[in-house]
Amino acid sequence: MSPALTNPSAYAIIAAALIAGLPASAMAGNHAPTLSHSTVLSGLDNPWDMAFLPDGTMFYTEKCRGMSVRLPSGDVHHLLGMKDAEGYATTESDLVCQGQAGMNGVAVDPDFDDNRFVYVYSASEMSEPRTNRVLRLTVNGDFDDVSDRTDIVDDIPYKPAATDHPFGDSGAHNGGRIRFSPDDGFLYVTTGDNHNSEIPQSPTQLGGKVLRIDRDGNAAEDNAPPAGFDSRIYTYGHRNVQGLTFHPETSQPIVTEHGPWHSDEVNALVNGGNSGWDPRPNMAGRGDCPDNYCGYEPNQMEGMNPKERAAYMPLTDTNVYPNAMVPAWQNSGLSQGISGTDFLTGDQWGAWNGRLAVGFMGIGFGGTAVGQRINLLALHESGEAVTDVSEMHLPMGPARFRSVVQGPDGNLYVAVDEGEIHRISPE
Amino acid sequence: MMKIALLLAATAALTIGTASAGEPDESAGESLYAGSCAQCHGPGGKGMASFPSLAGRDSDYIASRLMQYRDGERVGANSGLMIPNAAGLSDDDIANLAAYISSEFQ
Repeated sequence: MSPALTNPSAYAIIAAALIAGLPASAMAGNHAPTLSHSTVLSGLDNPWDMAFLPDGTMFYTEKCRGMSVRLPSGDVHHLLGMKDAEGYATTESDLVCQGQAGMNGVAVDPDFDDNRFVYVYSASEMSEPRTNRVLRLTVNGDFDDVSDRTDIVDDIPYKPAATDHPFGDSGAHNGGRIRFSPDDGFLYVTTGDNHNSEIPQSPTQLGGKVLRIDRDGNAAEDNAPPAGFDSRIYTYGHRNVQGLTFHPETSQPIVTEHGPWHSDEVNALVNGGNSGWDPRPNMAGRGDCPDNYCGYEPNQMEGMNPKERAAYMPLTDTNVYPNAMVPAWQNSGLSQGISGTDFLTGDQWGAWNGRLAVGFMGIGFGGTAVGQRINLLALHESGEAVTDVSEMHLPMGPARFRSVVQGPDGNLYVAVDEGEIHRISPE
Repeated sequence: MMKIALLLAATAALTIGTASAGEPDESAGESLYAGSCAQCHGPGGKGMASFPSLAGRDSDYIASRLMQYRDGERVGANSGLMIPNAAGLSDDDIANLAAYISSEFQ
């Protein structure tokens, strides 16, 4: 036995590392880093997502304007504009925004150097009724225009009309995060339930799902949803997924899912899995519900104990769906606007190396604290548990943290609805 | 000195006393807005996400909407969020918020 392992404290460190599901090296920096921040972009209109090239080039979306790119020099080029947006190199007038919908996620092709492809998720009125689409575009050599629009997915449901629910406007529960897996190379696409109770468990409607497709929109060949399901479906039974990343060691896809006045979730996805959301009326002990959707019942407009809510309308219903994917974390039973997520990796993060950063936009309903913050979760490698939760001291103060992405420089970039993209740097 | 201090105290008392019955207190509205409204409507009142802009709304509009929500009346898609938020507002709170929002967010 080596001298080091006879030292009780070394045992403790190794044991703690094992428990946390982190490599021992992650524990080497045993303190949280001191953070500083700088504002990368300001004056934006609801920035929604960012995607980076290795040299720091940053593509970003604004929900009602379109996609732009910030070059390492700091120059910004507006590439793809939506209906009524001015100042863009190319405008696609079918791309529209309403409520939570608009231009959402953005992703860069893993082979960008060769094919120059970028992808965005956007609401479109090209079809009637409106749908959400995933567009593939080719960026020119000067990074000042895009061309060759190809809609690789054109049939993701969009909420067409207002309903009697909280956040009940059209365009609600729209999902919208898109990411390429660094492991299998497929594009993962998260969607929402549209306040439509039939959608999450529907085998054919693509809302309330995570899709896994290739760069042309074809299903990944080994997707394993139940028989009769659309072959593009990787997981189903989701409510509204707005966070997506991949475990740095296991490559397992990790999502965040907005809770229904309770229980925001972090889930590690399993191919073909059911996330257990089924807000249909007249089942599982429920009666009729407002506009045929029980997603905020039993009391959608007034505060009540989140535990009572969870018992009545669980986000993951393991009674009805015993094989549902087990959430890794449920935000202490509260719903506070869980959104973007990414892993912090690298020694610069000290004790947070390997932690899952999770952004919250905050809600503040029915006695629940607003909760605008970034949490740092120690996710067990099984994906089924969180062993520790820290909260980031925010050098820029609280905000609606919509998107969090670790950049190629090892810093954390966060987009806030207030209109900024910040860079958070460990000292 | 004592007389001046007393005079100041009396003036302050009168000012506070008249604030509730007369002119709204914009600074009270500002702190209430920062604590209870800005998280959704934005620090500049421009709206964010699916939450509406308050820019250009006059004082009567803001006050009447807040009173409707306080009464539990449904107005628009986000009533479920506004009704509980407005439930605890006093008449003075509403007047102060309406004054601040209408003068600050043009």
